Amino acid sequence: MTDTLSSPSSPSGDPIVEIIDTADERASDTIEKRTLGLGFWLCIGWLVFICGLAALAPILPLKDPDENFLQFEEKESALTGRVTEAPVQPPYGPSAEHWFGTDLDARDMLSRTIYGARVSLVVGFAAIAFGMLVGGSLGMVAGFVGGWFDRVVSFCFLVLLSFPALILAILITSLASRSLFTIALTLGILSVSPVGRLARAATLVFAEREFVTAARTLGAKPSRIIRREILPNVMIPMSALALLGMAVSIVAEGALAFLGLSVEKGSTWGKLIRTAVNSTSDLESAPWMAFTPIGFLFLTVMALNFAGDRLRDYFDVKELSI
Amino acid sequence: MAAADANNEPLLVVEDYEVGFRTERGLARAVDKVSFELDRGETLGIVGESGSGKSVLNRGIMGLVSSNRMIEDGSVLFDGGQMVNRNRQEFWGAKIGMIFQDPMTSLNPVMKIGKQIFEPLRQHLGLDKGEAETRAIELLTQVGIPEPARRIKQYPHELSGGMRQRVMIAIALAAEPEMLIADEPTTALDVTVQKYILDLLRQLQLDRGMAMTLITHDLGVARGRTDNVMVMYGGRVMEHAPTDTIFAEMRHPYTEALLASVPSLKHAKHTRLTPIPGAPPDIVNPPPGCRFSPRCKYAQPKCTEQAPELNEGEHRYACFYPVGTDASAEALEKNMAQGHTATGLKIGLAPAKAAG
Amino acid sequence: MMILLLIAVSMLTFAAMSFLGDPLFNILGPVAGDTENPENLAKIEAAKEQYYLDKPLPERYARWAGDFVTGDFGVQFSTDGQPPVSGLLKERLPRTLQLMLMAQFLALAIAIPWGVVTASRANGVVDRASTFTSFMFVSLPNFALAVILFYIFALKLDWLPDTYHATDPFWGLTHRHRLVQLVLPAFTLALPGASVYQRLLRTDLITTLQEDFILMARAKGVPKWRVLFRHALRPSMFSVITIFGINAGALIGGALVVEIYFRIPGVGTAIVEAVLREDFPVVLALVMVIATAFVVLNFIVDVFYTFLDPRVRR
Repeated sequence: MTDTLSSPSSPSGDPIVEIIDTADERASDTIEKRTLGLGFWLCIGWLVFICGLAALAPILPLKDPDENFLQFEEKESALTGRVTEAPVQPPYGPSAEHWFGTDLDARDMLSRTIYGARVSLVVGFAAIAFGMLVGGSLGMVAGFVGGWFDRVVSFCFLVLLSFPALILAILITSLASRSLFTIALTLGILSVSPVGRLARAATLVFAEREFVTAARTLGAKPSRIIRREILPNVMIPMSALALLGMAVSIVAEGALAFLGLSVEKGSTWGKLIRTAVNSTSDLESAPWMAFTPIGFLFLTVMALNFAGDRLRDYFDVKELSI
Repeated sequence: MAAADANNEPLLVVEDYEVGFRTERGLARAVDKVSFELDRGETLGIVGESGSGKSVLNRGIMGLVSSNRMIEDGSVLFDGGQMVNRNRQEFWGAKIGMIFQDPMTSLNPVMKIGKQIFEPLRQHLGLDKGEAETRAIELLTQVGIPEPARRIKQYPHELSGGMRQRVMIAIALAAEPEMLIADEPTTALDVTVQKYILDLLRQLQLDRGMAMTLITHDLGVARGRTDNVMVMYGGRVMEHAPTDTIFAEMRHPYTEALLASVPSLKHAKHTRLTPIPGAPPDIVNPPPGCRFSPRCKYAQPKCTEQAPELNEGEHRYACFYPVGTDASAEALEKNMAQGHTATGLKIGLAPAKAAG
Repeated sequence: MMILLLIAVSMLTFAAMSFLGDPLFNILGPVAGDTENPENLAKIEAAKEQYYLDKPLPERYARWAGDFVTGDFGVQFSTDGQPPVSGLLKERLPRTLQLMLMAQFLALAIAIPWGVVTASRANGVVDRASTFTSFMFVSLPNFALAVILFYIFALKLDWLPDTYHATDPFWGLTHRHRLVQLVLPAFTLALPGASVYQRLLRTDLITTLQEDFILMARAKGVPKWRVLFRHALRPSMFSVITIFGINAGALIGGALVVEIYFRIPGVGTAIVEAVLREDFPVVLALVMVIATAFVVLNFIVDVFYTFLDPRVRR
């Protein structure tokens, strides 16, 4: 039989197994759910590492991201025969001195990327923090009190969601001054709706549980029930979403920067990439200029995604993230 | 049809057939050295509780167990050809048809009835679309579906449970298989529909001279609709005899317990049901000796020491103290006297036992 | 509900644009700031009247909405007020649509076989490798992916053109040439989508493959590939279809980035240009078109469910 899909694994080696091994699938699923796994901790490790680098950048023995490290070489003038020191045209490729090369102004790519992380990470973190605060509390209250308030809030979430996110971001950033604050706020507004919807859905689930009913019958105030009974439970699925949301915000900042609409001052990963790919010939001759920030961005986003995903599986909250 | 001399040979010869599953606790022997024969045109009822291995036996024979933790051993000859440890796809639908328990879930919900019947027709008989449609309508008529031409354009959810089971039978019979495996074909159906489906199966089987295994947990279902009955417990054959014989003089305590535990249409209305005490055996670590001994009211020390072999002959059973013999009467008396069996099962007279 | 949603979206955009920008500058240029000069003042007044800028916000919205519903998208804010927005839309929309259709088609074309293969051998080597691969694609922002694909296939391997036609010749190109130009942009948009679809399809397929009717189909002798594609695939497409609609939103954002990077003069480029020059009617019209498309698409998705699952039909 030329059946490429069956897995031959009977003792005699003949393919007697058909389609899939359901037992295996279920077994490994349950095993994976119980532990976060090595991958999760690797991701957390990378995130701690990159955050540490970004936070401590000024006191680490890093090169000044704005210094021009021009390299000179001895050149013999064809006319006079005199040997002079002339600057070599940057960008310089990766070397022992500059691990990830330099940019067009001979500035160290690694330092620039790490300093760029400061802005990117702060924007990402602030955005999701805003989303959690506003979206989370709105969603929780809406889910808890229900009624017209719930309907209004849900509708607002839907309106926000029916804007393609990047368009909304462009709209806001193009109208206001592009400070760190505006960008973070914009991305924060974008994350309100997904966070809020999850918080609402989770609250609806937990509001039905016995411990909430018990608290209610005991005469606890609604505000107290939300704070003491629902918040701790809703925080669990939210923590997974926070990681995923931070990844989304960092990417969104990058996209804005790529369109030339991110923070005006300071460098971010997105801005570094935009500068590097502006001209095709630069990309071809000095790919490290683009791929260093891309690499850092990719690893960070992947770490956030993976960790968030794992966390979500771990708490088994998939059915909540409608 | 096969050659004349081949017709005297049994269609299916199963010998020391074993199916095991590798589990974390060890090898689970779902089918443990089972041997039997199935003649052409014979209907064999395979009876046992859930976990007795009756379904695994049939799916194992057919090669439909979808797990790479499964291992099988022994010999299964179908029409003289060895089936064990090889791909049996060529048999599916073409030589062996199969009917599943739940017609609600066994038909593809997003495919029209007609298309589901066409598939085996076109696959095995090479019919074109028009021929397949004619044949499908014939088949649906045979299984007693009114307005078959309209039904083939409907989806399964538009049909009742009994109708769907008839459709499933039509599909299984589409390519005229020599053998039909009916795996609890009526368990999921209303009691009122069960009888019709069972009678239909028996009639179709007789009309076509097809062999059939009827798997059921209800001994009563086998009565009158099978030629032979094989009772399984813990992956082993406990008793195997012609259907009349088994109802007239059952030998194995498990068969007896099984019959007493299931309500039957033929029982008097207020017959007391006697549940079998205990639970089916752990097939990874089966009890020593006879597997039924922990739940058997006749159990004696001997039963826990060695496993009884199946005797040879037309009426096969594996028991040291067969029901209806002096040996079992004595054993029961002894157990009643001491208040428990050799395996510690407490027995005694029921407080309000219905007299005769 | 759908219409209510659209009204809310348009009001929000309208209000945001009115509060935050000053369109007068775009119409009149520096003249707008010069209210001292009576001649300019007259111009300002005229422009205000022409664009209803002197009217209160609700009235302007009502006028705009009335026009929009009747298909009049207004004129661009520029000194000459030309061309009309509908003309711009007619020129730009087909390009973006073509790109997005290609991307979605590619995404499904990649995801379906990929999902079927991984699900049929769940937890095998291929499956594990593809879990990692799809994770990678999902985590690569599309602007990064665009750069990487461009670097590899256009610059290093030289399989595809490394120059992209900025403006007009684009639509005049031969069909084949245009498709070639769209390959990299379409793949950039398709790969992350394909990864998402593949994950969803794989999960749903694994569940479907445990259904009784799959065993039944096997038992009646249907070959395995046919069981996978004919019996298992369709009932496993629900999550993919749901996300297909939602993903369109992400795709629009992605299309924006991709159009800018590959210099495709589509809706995305138009909207960025319009936003940068605070061209009120254009932004509003484009946002509305996108929002409408998004809402309508999700409605179509709902309809498509009934095709996939006859049980939902009433």
